[in-house]
Amino acid sequence: MRAPITVLALSALVTAARPVVAQQPTDPRAQLAALKVAPLHFNPPTPKRVTLSNGVAVYLLEDHSLPLVDVEIVSKVGVAHLPDSLWGVGWQADNLMRIGGTTRLPPDSVDKLIEFYALTATISTANETSTASFSGLSKYTDQLLDLGFDLLRNPRNDTSRVRLTAAQQQESWRRRNDTPGSVLGRAWSQVLMGDHPLGRTQVTPQEIAGFTPERFRWTQQRIFCPDNLILGVSGDFTEREMLARLERLFRGWGKCPAGLRPLPPVQFTHGPKLVLVEKDVNQSNIRMGHAGGIRVGNTPEYFAAQVADFLLGGGGGFNSRLLQRVRSDSGFAYSVFSVWNADTRREDQFFAGAQVRAEKTVAAVRLMRDLVGSMATEPVTAQDVKLAQDNEVNSFVFQFENAGQIVAQQLGYAVDGLPPNWFDLYLKGIQAVTPAQVTAVSKQYLHPDQMVILVVGKPSAFDKPLTEIGPVVRLPVDSIRR
Amino acid sequence: MRLLVGLTAALAIAAPLGAQQSTPGERLPVVKYVLPNGMTFLFLRREGAPTVAFVTHFRAGGVDEWTGISGTAHLFEHMLFKGTRTIGTKNYPAELAIFPRIDAVADSLTAEFRKGDEADTSALARLRGRLRQLEDSARQYDVSNELDRILTENGAQSLNASTSNDVTNYFFALPANRAKLWFILDSDRIRNPVLREFYSERDVVMEERRLRVETSPGGLLREEFLAAAYRAHPYGRPVVGVASEIQTVSRTAAQEYFRRFYGPNNAVVAIVGDINVDTMKAWATQYFADIPAGEPHRPVVTQEPPQHGERRIDVEYDANPQVLIGYHVPEARHPDAPALAVLSQILTGGRTSRLYQRLVIKERAATNVFSGSGPGALYPRLFTFTVVPIAPHTTAELEGEIYEEIDRVQREPPSGEELQRVRNQIEASAVQRLENNFGLAFQLSNSEALWYDWRQTFRDQTGLLAVTAADVQRVARAYFDKSNRTVATLVRPAKPATGGTN
Repeated sequence: MRAPITVLALSALVTAARPVVAQQPTDPRAQLAALKVAPLHFNPPTPKRVTLSNGVAVYLLEDHSLPLVDVEIVSKVGVAHLPDSLWGVGWQADNLMRIGGTTRLPPDSVDKLIEFYALTATISTANETSTASFSGLSKYTDQLLDLGFDLLRNPRNDTSRVRLTAAQQQESWRRRNDTPGSVLGRAWSQVLMGDHPLGRTQVTPQEIAGFTPERFRWTQQRIFCPDNLILGVSGDFTEREMLARLERLFRGWGKCPAGLRPLPPVQFTHGPKLVLVEKDVNQSNIRMGHAGGIRVGNTPEYFAAQVADFLLGGGGGFNSRLLQRVRSDSGFAYSVFSVWNADTRREDQFFAGAQVRAEKTVAAVRLMRDLVGSMATEPVTAQDVKLAQDNEVNSFVFQFENAGQIVAQQLGYAVDGLPPNWFDLYLKGIQAVTPAQVTAVSKQYLHPDQMVILVVGKPSAFDKPLTEIGPVVRLPVDSIRR
Repeated sequence: MRLLVGLTAALAIAAPLGAQQSTPGERLPVVKYVLPNGMTFLFLRREGAPTVAFVTHFRAGGVDEWTGISGTAHLFEHMLFKGTRTIGTKNYPAELAIFPRIDAVADSLTAEFRKGDEADTSALARLRGRLRQLEDSARQYDVSNELDRILTENGAQSLNASTSNDVTNYFFALPANRAKLWFILDSDRIRNPVLREFYSERDVVMEERRLRVETSPGGLLREEFLAAAYRAHPYGRPVVGVASEIQTVSRTAAQEYFRRFYGPNNAVVAIVGDINVDTMKAWATQYFADIPAGEPHRPVVTQEPPQHGERRIDVEYDANPQVLIGYHVPEARHPDAPALAVLSQILTGGRTSRLYQRLVIKERAATNVFSGSGPGALYPRLFTFTVVPIAPHTTAELEGEIYEEIDRVQREPPSGEELQRVRNQIEASAVQRLENNFGLAFQLSNSEALWYDWRQTFRDQTGLLAVTAADVQRVARAYFDKSNRTVATLVRPAKPATGGTN
């Protein structure tokens, strides 16, 4: 991409390029201390926001460095907004849009076009938002957009492909307990969120029985319709032509039909609750957590929670408490992490997870629970907070590496209701966090004694009975409802 | 039907890269810079955001391990994040003084462990406890994960590494104004690595094995399949290692692996992004030129003997069935490799491919079907089909249908349209693969490490474009023979597992 970039002071290093002579480098620590980092002046390009005549917002960023074009279409609604009886249909509506043909083209013709022109067409209906992305060589932009809009506007949901999807989903249901990870994820949602749509990832046989072309059509018309859409275009195109093309493609596409619901309120289970799902494996899957409490917003609390998560087991990587203690010091696990999710619309969940050798299961559960608690009781240091802040500040250029990424960022902000300059606000917010705020937010929102703790594993191989941690609820694998 | 008209027109006119033309990748202004000790640098300055990607490949992989130390290439990869004589330590001499005591306990533990069923479990527990205690006592001198901390605070991205059968790579990206950090840190870690926290990391790797193989039906099936297909060549050994060897490999063995394979002459570094090439050259010399060359890389001498008859194995695991079908084919540089790659696309590349059309779309008998060559590139490998049935269809049924489609391609060559589709896809990927710094750095460094030529990866695309229908038919006839085949099927054990360790 061609971005307006100025890298000042680096030129000083260039002119100082040393003669090509081998010399014994000094102590690396001394070199690190002596390292002079020139300021990085970088003004990433800003996508242009245009509103089409039907009110749809489009973010455009031209980049002619490669003959590629990328169109992202985001819908502000998703499967969780459908009536409950259509959740399973909505979950697979994306697949049918891609493979089910259009009213003009049978499924095989769509497949042939996409693969012949080496186009990429990906449609995804998720719980709260949905996306479609179309990309390919820019010489095929017409084919790409004609086909992409045809898929979105006129899905055929050909019976043969509805049957195929039903068969594949039935097989996915059959295989749902084959890996410990699948068991863990599904059991976790059920225990923490009941059957709330935000926790669902698996279609049930009863839902599969309801797959019909008409029902797919009903959901598709309501998820992908102009009132809900925001577009992003990046790559090798010219703005004027692209806008004219988009106007034409939207022509005659009417209002969104009624029938969606607001997201049902989420009720997270209150702990303490200790749940065991038995599976005959030599490595236990562990997850523990509760409601996250935090919303995304320009608040000190949100930024402090971000830093707390970084230092507990998120972006801090090996220098987070969980990785340092559970992996590096103890050798209990290869994978261990924390996730403190937040959203602009509502609270989300907090959890820590790991895959641990069976014979260290109870020791690891205790250690992980203690580490969650340590965020409130063993204050993070100023150096720790600085690590998180330096990481965010110094890595900011990676958020703007190419035109597609820059456009996607703006689409994301628009869908989440965040201002276009959210990234700047975010960086400033992170930089203002103090160690005391991290401790305070942890004290307020992380409750190691009130967590739901879920273990998938083989209890006879554990180091100690799980009951040493507390009363155990057994969840048979077959009673995981979806 | 405007779209269909478009398709027909394209069929007639689409003439992408001709076989004689060079691909856009080959024309990249890559600067190759080789130090006197043999260390190879590839520099590519690209317009764009001020970021730089660093990817280093060492000609050292799973195939270079010797008997008894399987998994060491990968374990050593983990160890290169543990620091050096200065990074990661508060007192290196004090640490070093404890190492022999730790190693002695580890050796006793290994000796006891190797008694197998005769091992004294209380002795094992005592020795494990002692090992843990001693390694913990060494930690007082450590600054654990300091390398990671330095890079994290400097905004490094994608810090990681991976080990394959043929090579091992290490990578991260930095903001352009911090590029010098890579030279300081990576010259230090290949010059002075210290294998601290060795035995706890060995445990971590064992958990990685459990995650990827022992609790993963697909991972376990693949491991057993490779072991059945290879009798002699190390491609049959798991890169992550055999459990008993991961659990007993010594620090000394890992050091020996490093000494043999991590000489600068076995390293290829690609640096791609917002760089000044002259500065990079100067730093490369300043930081790496005085590292003495190591032993040259010696290719594996073992040749897999010809297979005499089909090999079939069942792999028992409490999960639904799937099957792998593999045929021995030559290494990636062999003249038949391009035709085999095109054949793979024709059979399973996308929804319009022959096998996907038949097994998934028409019959709804499989959730998906894949094919591809592996597990490595340097040595003769396997062309493998993976297929997952939809019940009540069986793996046996799907196997039979795959063989019918192989017969068909042996009898009749692919159509012009099928070949044109593959060529168009190659043309698009020739552009798409140039999209980002990291992807480019990987391709350049990998190609130079494997083939001593960074352009080879791009030339391979030209090779694909030259493949004819007759070539495809010829290679299908040459290699897809029953006696050259290994089939591994995942089946449920007769009785549900009650004790075992899966």
